[in-house]
Amino acid sequence: MELTWGLMIVIYLFTAGLSAGAMITSNLAFLYGGQEFERVSRWGAYLSPFPISLGLGVLVLDLGSPFNFYQLFLTLELSSPMSYGSWIILFFTMLSFVYLYLWLPETYQKIGQTQQLKRWKKHLTKLMPFLSIAVASYTGLLLNAAVRPIWNAPLLPILFLVSALSTGVAAVILISNLSPWKRARHKELHVLTKADAGLIILECLIILIMIVMGRLSSASESIAFNSLLVGNYAWVFWLLIVGLGLIIPLFMELMELKGKIPVKWVWPVTISSSFLVLFGGFFVRYVITYAGQTNSWF
Amino acid sequence: MTVRMGFVIITSRCIDCDACMVACRSENDVPLGHTRNWVKSSGVQGQFPKVSEVFQPGNCMHCDNPPCVSVCPTGASQKRSDGIVIVEDKKCIGCKYCLTACPYDARFSNSETGKADKCTLCLHRLEQGLEPACVQTCLGKSRLAGDLNDPSSVVSMLIAQYPTRILLKEVGTGPNIYYIDEAVPDIPDGK
Repeated sequence: MELTWGLMIVIYLFTAGLSAGAMITSNLAFLYGGQEFERVSRWGAYLSPFPISLGLGVLVLDLGSPFNFYQLFLTLELSSPMSYGSWIILFFTMLSFVYLYLWLPETYQKIGQTQQLKRWKKHLTKLMPFLSIAVASYTGLLLNAAVRPIWNAPLLPILFLVSALSTGVAAVILISNLSPWKRARHKELHVLTKADAGLIILECLIILIMIVMGRLSSASESIAFNSLLVGNYAWVFWLLIVGLGLIIPLFMELMELKGKIPVKWVWPVTISSSFLVLFGGFFVRYVITYAGQTNSWF
Repeated sequence: MTVRMGFVIITSRCIDCDACMVACRSENDVPLGHTRNWVKSSGVQGQFPKVSEVFQPGNCMHCDNPPCVSVCPTGASQKRSDGIVIVEDKKCIGCKYCLTACPYDARFSNSETGKADKCTLCLHRLEQGLEPACVQTCLGKSRLAGDLNDPSSVVSMLIAQYPTRILLKEVGTGPNIYYIDEAVPDIPDGK
């Protein structure tokens, strides 16, 4: 099959995961860290609405009949992940802007009473993790439902979820480190880095299991996975994902956690490791989207 | 019994003249660069002097479990009660999900309308009591269409008489094009 879903879809898959991951990072930091993790919660809230908004714009532009997009919201087709997914991302995006508003400094909160807004913030902080998990993982179900080799891997929703969390945490680390205002404290960063390292290890395991399962399935699936390991996509898979996107940032984060990095190098290492995680996360979506389409059943 | 529309395609009768593709394009105004039906070649098989080449025409299989219909987010892709899979243009947003879901690559994005496009089994001709354009034009009588549930239809009679195969059975789509590879000297009279 020629390529039906191209770079636009890859950008959407990446940005939606990033937003969902940043949202969960913010929610959990606030729920379990409270005031001590106030800075990363805030930056997660400020970041979350924007990547997915970009992704939604790109998604509409990719439609053959973009002005007809409202048809999505006249119905709910339970057999179509794209149908319920559209509703999920609609609610997520709207609520992520509300959540951002609730995190603004009080002087900017023109609507609502401060006490009331604080209550709202608490409620929303408990609701958003569920929506975020839905946003991050339904994209896996979306590809599952098209029943193509690679896309039909049952672990795909889990891979997308873990990758989304990892890129979300990395984006929060990146932005809360680059900002001169409300810069994250050492303790906050330490916990986030620990979480990200754990997520990267988990992601490596999931990718490994997916490949083993794929190789043990039908000939069509086995050959499709071979295109990642030794075929057309091997350099993307090994160099951009496994090397630059997983192993190197994991190594950097582990060194940071052990305090083996000289103080003057900590900042650049933190910035580059979180950037590499984002970079790798993008190419995970790329390779799955593309390899799933250039391979088919035979 | 309900109507189940489908095709029988006899590969031994196809000479790769591509008249079915031309007839379909002309009948349905299919834009250049894409096609609703096709003729695939097996390539040259065997060793000289015993060589052969098989031509396998195809189009939408109007599957029993069409993945293009189940993934459609707006309900534009539908399976009619007579088994024909169609796209309701008004509802189609051009997301191309159905294109990725079809294991036979039977759909394409129509560059003029921006919507998913595919074989309709010439529904507008069936309604007038005519055969699909590709069937009518087929000079080798390789392509035949009709009600697979009606034992007196030409397709059912052929399926009863000759061994058939379907494509990508293991994917579970339940395609409704039955291929016959054996030589079929006479096409039975039927509906």
